[in-house]
Amino acid sequence: MAGITFKNVVKTYDNGVTVVPDLNLEIKDKEFVVLVGPSGCGKSTTLRMIAGLESITDGELYIGDKLMNAVAPKNRNIAMVFQNYALYPHLSVYKNMTFALELAKVPKDEMKKKVQWAAEILGLEPYLDRKPKALSGGQRQRVALGRAMVRDPEVFLLDEPLSNLDAKLRTEMRSQISKLHKRLGTTFVYVTHDQTEAMTMGDRICVMKDGIIQQFDTPQNLYDHPCNLFVAGFIGSPQMNFVDATVEKADGGYALCFGAARIVVDRPELAEYEGKMVVFGIRPEDLHAEPAFFGKGNVIDAYIDLDEMMGSESYLYLNYADQKLIARVPARYAKRAEENISLAVDAEKIHIFDKDTEKAI
Amino acid sequence: MDKKPSHARTVIAYIVLIILTFLCLFFFYILIVNATRSHPEIQKGFSFIPGHSLMKNLRSVLNDANIPVLSGIKNSLIVSSLSAILATYFSALTAYGLYAYDFKLKKPAFVFIMLILVMPTQVSAMGFINLITKMGMLNTLYPLFLPSIAAPAVFYFMYSYMQSSLPLELVEAARIDGSNEFHTFNRVVIPIMKPALAVQAIFAFVSSWNNYFIPALVISENNKKTLPILIAALRSADFLKFDMGKVYMLITIAIVPIIIVYIALSKYIVAGVALGGVKE
Repeated sequence: MAGITFKNVVKTYDNGVTVVPDLNLEIKDKEFVVLVGPSGCGKSTTLRMIAGLESITDGELYIGDKLMNAVAPKNRNIAMVFQNYALYPHLSVYKNMTFALELAKVPKDEMKKKVQWAAEILGLEPYLDRKPKALSGGQRQRVALGRAMVRDPEVFLLDEPLSNLDAKLRTEMRSQISKLHKRLGTTFVYVTHDQTEAMTMGDRICVMKDGIIQQFDTPQNLYDHPCNLFVAGFIGSPQMNFVDATVEKADGGYALCFGAARIVVDRPELAEYEGKMVVFGIRPEDLHAEPAFFGKGNVIDAYIDLDEMMGSESYLYLNYADQKLIARVPARYAKRAEENISLAVDAEKIHIFDKDTEKAI
Repeated sequence: MDKKPSHARTVIAYIVLIILTFLCLFFFYILIVNATRSHPEIQKGFSFIPGHSLMKNLRSVLNDANIPVLSGIKNSLIVSSLSAILATYFSALTAYGLYAYDFKLKKPAFVFIMLILVMPTQVSAMGFINLITKMGMLNTLYPLFLPSIAAPAVFYFMYSYMQSSLPLELVEAARIDGSNEFHTFNRVVIPIMKPALAVQAIFAFVSSWNNYFIPALVISENNKKTLPILIAALRSADFLKFDMGKVYMLITIAIVPIIIVYIALSKYIVAGVALGGVKE
């Protein structure tokens, strides 16, 4: 078992494009780390560098305490699950799973035992003689996982493994992979662009953009304390509302002013922003329609452009002082489109960002 | 729906197909019929009815000391089979090299191979003969199959087929699984390439079987000759001994393996026409 350490790692392609300018990252042993970010953010490249499928231009990569820069993929003791499964189409499920073991000259009975063990966990026993062509997407994905499991690797690498599955199967496989991680007690590195997958599966999440790590923290911390505008907007669905507001001095702290609203917050660090514009962010669920919240003030009256009824709750797409907002309110307090609604802003849950640096204040 | 026009179209299509089939098969029929007729019978003009000289023709072909037919068949089989194997395996290997790896001279290498593709064999024939003479390969079978290793047309077919059917993720998966590059090629790539290999093997076999130009330049010893040279030798034989029945018989013998190959593998040949160009 092993952790993974990136020290000032740079990846520049032959055409001169640098996708990862300077990566420092420490993944602990047995941890489930999710690399997440929009397309082209360098997350897959990072994973492929761990696998040894991409060369490292500069810097050092360690798995455990061994320097891996020049080590071939087969000698890194890793297993990888690909987005398109990458099962050998001409081999049966059994042969797919034993491919690596045969190369490692594992004795036949041991090989059989290992496959049986993996097949049992993944529910693949009835399919061992089938070719990948005769399996469904979910089954193929499980074979890909099984192929990785039997090798007993130090590190599991998963490159968007669920993106080819339908929504229901994705949810199912998500929990299966999480369970597998707990059961195997191995380091997992998982790449996805889906923030739901990241939030539900990762012990820690590494949010990347343009090859740079924006924030590397637990899911709860990312959600509650995003370090900048990008992370705040990327994590959470529907995404956080961002509004330009002016900082003014007020009784008991500073007030964020936009439209007719004046939201008073007790944040002394706003002193240097007095009279300046900041970006203020509020999550949709922190705009409350329940009357119980109205007592504290900070109530805005917004016009509903569109409402989406989700059953227990309702998403309201609002227009307030020419700014677009989304509120997530319990269905019984929601109103319909083209009506006005009063919403209380939970001042304690407000996020404030510097307008220029986009960093959290 | 008005069915009449489509009915008429079917009839026309069938007529055209029947004519085409006739044009294709008629000559084979004449060839086989003539192989059963004696020289005087053939000189009288053609007939649809087979003659009675099948065995006589066969015997005179097999017993002619100047025309070693059996060794010709053996030589042709050796040369064609090896050509087919070498052309397909090494072209697939080259195509794989250019498809799966990134290196600096990748594009120039591809262009270079494509340039060889447009070069006619005749242009390089003199140089080729000089080369094999210096290498001491004149009058051996090696020069007939060794050059098949470099088959640009087969390479191009393999390359297009890989683009459509060989995801690089598979190669990467094999690398991570601990497979070295040659093992990956032989155990993962080759099985996936099977349909393309089959088609190109057939084409390479047939074109080598029919090849006259290079064997005629390289081979002068009788027992090294391949079938096309033997047929030519028979046709240009002494006028007094000239026997048309014997010529037809030899040609019939020469085309039998090809017919067998085509009939047995017609499924692959039809599929092969559509292969390669299609990208998913």
